[in-house]
Amino acid sequence: MSQESSPPAGFLDLTGVPCPANASRALLRLELLDAGDLLELLVDDGEPRINVPAALEAEGHAVVAREQTTTGTWRLLVKRG
Amino acid sequence: MSTGEIYLDGAASTPLDPRVIETMDDAARRGAGNVASIHWAGVAAARCVERARAIVAGRLGATPDEIVFCGSGTEGNNHAVLGTAWAEGRGHLVISAVEHASVLEPARWLETQGFSLTLLPVDSGGRVRPADLAQALRPETILVSVHHGNNESGAVQPIADLGRICRSHPVRFHVDACQSFGKLPVRPDEMGADLVTVDGHKLHGPHGVGALYVREGIALAPLLRGGGQERGLRSGTHNTEGIAGFGRAVELADEADAERLAGLRQHLLERLRAAIPTLCEVAGSGPVLPSVLTVRFPGHSGKAIAMELSRRGIAVGTGSACQAGEDRPSRVLLAMGLTPGQCMEAVRFGLHRFLDEAMLDRTVEVLTEVPGNRGQA
Repeated sequence: MSQESSPPAGFLDLTGVPCPANASRALLRLELLDAGDLLELLVDDGEPRINVPAALEAEGHAVVAREQTTTGTWRLLVKRG
Repeated sequence: MSTGEIYLDGAASTPLDPRVIETMDDAARRGAGNVASIHWAGVAAARCVERARAIVAGRLGATPDEIVFCGSGTEGNNHAVLGTAWAEGRGHLVISAVEHASVLEPARWLETQGFSLTLLPVDSGGRVRPADLAQALRPETILVSVHHGNNESGAVQPIADLGRICRSHPVRFHVDACQSFGKLPVRPDEMGADLVTVDGHKLHGPHGVGALYVREGIALAPLLRGGGQERGLRSGTHNTEGIAGFGRAVELADEADAERLAGLRQHLLERLRAAIPTLCEVAGSGPVLPSVLTVRFPGHSGKAIAMELSRRGIAVGTGSACQAGEDRPSRVLLAMGLTPGQCMEAVRFGLHRFLDEAMLDRTVEVLTEVPGNRGQA
């Protein structure tokens, strides 16, 4: 998570939110940001860690960093496209 | 509505706002997928639903996960009552005597299943006395359900006071806010509510969509089981277009709208009083919804007046419910202490966004021409 120097403009905890509602909520939050802004996401392991980045990238956003937390969830850093 | 027609029954349902129709049209074209599908079409549909969820949650001061979309206010109310009872297994319920049938009937049915029920009386203004609630609570009480604003009288309940009493007991508090949502502040935290029902078509949104606010940590049994949508609380494919329209309707309902309605209500009341001095306002002794004005025309049938107005292009509600072809006095108005005869004299005017003073003036003018009211102006 250290590749981007500027702090995230927002954070969204999507653990427990099923696919594809998790990706949809992330997309809605990204709509409120400016191009280039970063959004930090917390998603569940399993399908969400694959589906959420795929859905965001399909909409032109970039997942610039991802790491698993000690509890098994995934922390994603997304740059608004 | 044709030119010249005046729709004044907004407590029954409000006209769809054209901007809501645009949103629904857009959702219908873009949200073709199933909200449960993980492909792009599912994401598009889920985006419509999640946008609406964020809007409804924001208006309630809730988190998105506390919003459960459903098919109507009736479903939300049934879910709150039955879902609580089924989660708890046994116990005592307290509801007011003037609740909507969608709260009263499930509670009555639970009585036949071994639960006990207390009906709280109301004062002559149609409001629950907090002391009566405090007295009704028992150690085994599992649910208190009192609506925010009444659909027949317009009376607004002292919800925050009732909520404070509930908070000092291990009991859930459900508020049916279908009539007040979008017109008065509906904030579960300020109400002390665990469950709140809202719906779409009372605030210029579509029919067939509502939501139940379920406070985080509250265990509720589902009414519908199946695909596990809405966190397992409401299975069934989402009504994507309806939910999108509901969200847009909530977004459009603002405080200025409510102030304007209150002004229209006051204007109508003043004009009615000036034209028909014998008229009596129902529930006028305390806070009322800005959208409901119920009056009695002493000595005249409210239904006959409503029918005559309808013939002249004006739609209003009456205080009587027509059941199985037989006129019965409203149980809500009876509970307020009106006699059966007085109940039958009631007419309900439902204010909404698409009315103006000229339409209200025209309504009063027509009313004075209605046989029976003639000569009283």
